[in-house]
Amino acid sequence: MNRVAIEKKVLSENDRIAAQLREALANTGTLALNFIGSPGAGKTALLEKTLQMLPHGTRAAVLTGDIQTENDAIRLRRYGYPVRQITTAGACHLDARMVENHLDGWLDKGLELLLIENVGNLVCPTSYDLGEDAKVVVLSVAEGEDKPLKYPGIFRKAELMILNKVDLLPHVPFQVAAALENARRIHPEIEILETSCTTGAGLDRWMNWLADRAKRKITEPRASASGV
Amino acid sequence: MHEMGIASSILTAVHKELLRYPGHRAEKVGVRIGEFAGVDTESLRFCFDALVKGTEFEPLELEIEWRRAGEELDLAYLELEDAPQEVAV
Repeated sequence: MNRVAIEKKVLSENDRIAAQLREALANTGTLALNFIGSPGAGKTALLEKTLQMLPHGTRAAVLTGDIQTENDAIRLRRYGYPVRQITTAGACHLDARMVENHLDGWLDKGLELLLIENVGNLVCPTSYDLGEDAKVVVLSVAEGEDKPLKYPGIFRKAELMILNKVDLLPHVPFQVAAALENARRIHPEIEILETSCTTGAGLDRWMNWLADRAKRKITEPRASASGV
Repeated sequence: MHEMGIASSILTAVHKELLRYPGHRAEKVGVRIGEFAGVDTESLRFCFDALVKGTEFEPLELEIEWRRAGEELDLAYLELEDAPQEVAV
């Protein structure tokens, strides 16, 4: 057999750019989060609430990915933070190059928080490292509680799962306990928060999580540079 | 959904790798895919075959080693039609 070993990552070019981004984000102490969820899970609404609730003067910016339209960027710009829309023109995910090309010099201005809203999709964005500190998966109670089992990749890789739209629980058959059990079966250490962007339930806890995570990034900037 | 992009990345890597073995053709490329890599193997095969058809790569075969509970998406090996003689690039 004339077999020669290669042993490289298929997405090595993406990973190379992601590693550069991670290094740059470590140098500036910027916490970068990659939000992944189905279309309609409430990713944009969660980011809107987040921008509203950030302590005054926080240096934050948002990249929001969609296949078409500037709609999400228009929604998110109302809160006074820099926002750039990435329209992927057909691609079902963001990749590291797109993020690099849209950072707009933000890192040089002492950015503390970079929120990246991925294209609505539970599968493809999972494969592409964007140089982020953590992936956050947003699941809504309008979906099935078996989503973690059907799409294990993202639940495995996400540090935090946000169970959103909990205000709808009286009206939908969603079983919270089953959903949490499914998520933990795939990823025993996954952190879980329950939120409603309509009633505001759970948002304080989410903002605390975010503040703690940002603090950790500043106190251990080099440690997070090596994580994937 | 993104399997076409993955298939295209595999072929780009094969092309680059073959530069090390001038005059050789690749018969098979082996990739290792973890359960949590977010890649649908059937869809990847379909895209791979569609991309290879009618190109210099034909009839390159894709062999997938599926890893339970793994996260990898790796290019593992190439099988060449003749014994390889590596040259420095």
